[in-house]
Amino acid sequence: MAQGRPAAIAYLTIVQDDRTGWTGGLLVLGVGGRPLEFQCTLPVRPSRTHEILFGSSLRGHLISEIIAPVLVEKCRTPIGLLCCDQPEVFRLGDTSVFPIGLVRQAAQVEEGPIDADTLPQCETVELAGSLIDVPMERHEGALSIVNELADIPDAIEPFERIREAIREAQAQIAAAASANMTPQRFSQSRAA
Amino acid sequence: MSPLATASINQDVSIDVLSWIDNERARIADSPQLRVDAIKPRVLPIAIKPIRPKVTGFQFPEAAAWQPAEVKKDPVRPEKPKTVKSALSTPTKHHRIKPPSDVIKLEDRLFYLLQPPLELLVRGDQLDFPFEPFPYQFDGIAFLFSRHSAILADEMGLGKTMQCVSTIRLLLCSGQLRSVLLVCPKPLVSNWLREFSVWAPEIPITDISGNAAKRELTWRSREFPVKVANYELLMRDREIIVDESIHFDLVALDEAQRIKNRSSTTAEVVCSIPRTRSWALTGTPVENSPDDLVGIFEFLSPGYLQPGLPLNEMASRSQDHILRRTKDMVLDNMPPKLYRDADLDLTPEQWETYTEAEESGVVRLSDMGEELTIQHVFELVLRLKQICNFDPVTGSSVKLQRLVADMEEIAASGKKAILFSQWVNCIDKMRPELERFGPLEYHGRIPHKQREGVIDQFKNDPDSHIILMSYGAGSVGLNLQFCEYVFLFDRWWNPAIEDQAINRAHRIGAAGAVTITRMMAANTIEQRIADVLNQKREMFDALFANQDSNPVNQSGGLTKEEIFGLFGLNAAKK
Repeated sequence: MAQGRPAAIAYLTIVQDDRTGWTGGLLVLGVGGRPLEFQCTLPVRPSRTHEILFGSSLRGHLISEIIAPVLVEKCRTPIGLLCCDQPEVFRLGDTSVFPIGLVRQAAQVEEGPIDADTLPQCETVELAGSLIDVPMERHEGALSIVNELADIPDAIEPFERIREAIREAQAQIAAAASANMTPQRFSQSRAA
Repeated sequence: MSPLATASINQDVSIDVLSWIDNERARIADSPQLRVDAIKPRVLPIAIKPIRPKVTGFQFPEAAAWQPAEVKKDPVRPEKPKTVKSALSTPTKHHRIKPPSDVIKLEDRLFYLLQPPLELLVRGDQLDFPFEPFPYQFDGIAFLFSRHSAILADEMGLGKTMQCVSTIRLLLCSGQLRSVLLVCPKPLVSNWLREFSVWAPEIPITDISGNAAKRELTWRSREFPVKVANYELLMRDREIIVDESIHFDLVALDEAQRIKNRSSTTAEVVCSIPRTRSWALTGTPVENSPDDLVGIFEFLSPGYLQPGLPLNEMASRSQDHILRRTKDMVLDNMPPKLYRDADLDLTPEQWETYTEAEESGVVRLSDMGEELTIQHVFELVLRLKQICNFDPVTGSSVKLQRLVADMEEIAASGKKAILFSQWVNCIDKMRPELERFGPLEYHGRIPHKQREGVIDQFKNDPDSHIILMSYGAGSVGLNLQFCEYVFLFDRWWNPAIEDQAINRAHRIGAAGAVTITRMMAANTIEQRIADVLNQKREMFDALFANQDSNPVNQSGGLTKEEIFGLFGLNAAKK
């Protein structure tokens, strides 16, 4: 982390759509929740073989072993705390240098009610009025970073931004595909 | 059977069995053999192709943002309560900054989309807002934030100034702007300074004023990220401002209809200011013809619109750059505007003078032949309109009689009224009759330095029930929402100007319904002008059809042909 610079908070979510597939987005925020960096994957479409062979474990495999690691790996901004809304991302924590937190209210939309019994190995920290579950062994580190992030106005809303950005990126990909161009060439041709 | 016989049989059988086995052995040895192979399954490997997603990403510039100084928190204002969100709390709708359609690159589009929602910036601890803006004002801020060329064309009273100030504040604080120039009519400079002190108190702002040396110093100063100049002053300081070394990240024009005439010196000077972003604020983007819009676009994006473009094409090309809302569209609980058309019959004295003046005037114009110009026609129109106000011989005035009668009731109920007239000398004439209502005056003859004091007195003095204004001085930039009555003593050429005047009272914060009395002398030139203007209003609807705004508010003035037509004269004569 750069000297004197407040810790950056990153948000990661993965969107699944029957038509396009699985797309991940990682947003790093700076002061006041302003964007510092955004990374997103092209949609991942597991084959029929994947679906059959991985069965119900496919989701976990895609999130925790395929999409989330590659996003974190590509991110150039040092991350202080990674917030997610899918518990599968927790598995990244085994190797990551930063703590990973599950934003409880955001996760409950898909996962149903989450409480201390659901995640017995976790403790909570509070950010902008929202509870974030972090693994016990990372609790102290997470707490000190959350204290640095006092000016983050909302701990849940950034997931909306990622989803909005993914929609925008997919719209460009679709438009480029219909014009038979790469997204980059499509952008250039429109700008011209 | 005897035992001997039995033995013999057994012997025979034994012989038969042995031979049968021998035969069978021989037969098997001679027949083809059947082989059964062992089952050995083949293994076909099915490789699971590893999934390697492609990643695309952007880092956004962490510009050196202008850092606001610590703002003292209001000790009376309670701290924002901190509560933990429950699982059941419903997600709130956010106003997001949307990239304009001319932003093409994905990276640029995402930069806007990934900005925090405006509500969070307003409610956050970083910036202090005195009040939470209305939802439509958030839309306005989101519209301006991402645009390099934009017209905010909201109806008067919806808070264009506040939306502009707040957007500038957010852009300064996010490092996207460092130097801003606001250009407005001279009487509105103090209004802009005041609005900044309310909506962006931490941002240093200065007006360009004083002698030439002081002004040049201010123009070149980097101490103030926001500077305010008036249009007239731009002409005088033209040499300084066209200098490329004074580059503005944003130039915003208030009352931008001033540059609708592309060939005017004002338009020329304004368009020559070196700048990156260009915004225009106006409640009347089109006053006379759709080509007015071309003039404003010459400032925003030169050559983007051309004069004479078909109306629908002009509307579709400009659509993404213009945001226009009317009060009817955005304010559900805005008090109504109640129009009362006072069609008055002139007093006998006025009528006699009027008919004589019109008849002799028309004869004179007709006799002028080739010499006739629009100026001659215009002079006759003005003379007749003045007679409709006051008989020049006797001072008799049906409009004043009506005004006094109405004012009795208004003053008795402790209310306040604004009166607009085209002429200051008419204001002089009506003043003696209105003395008992504590009249105050606000027009071109009142020095600028005294004007704020006049407004303050009118607001605070319970004995002052009416303020007499000229359209020129009082129709823009003033907040008089404590008035419930507006009198249009005479009608302006252009209903858009009338609307601006009316909206001094009918704006956000208005206490109740605003009653507007439009005085018109029946069967006179005033009625003919009103009829022509009413017909014209419909044309302007087409330009803003997609913005659902009220066509009444976009109407323009009279053309040369229409002015000649008021007396049945042919414009071709000129």
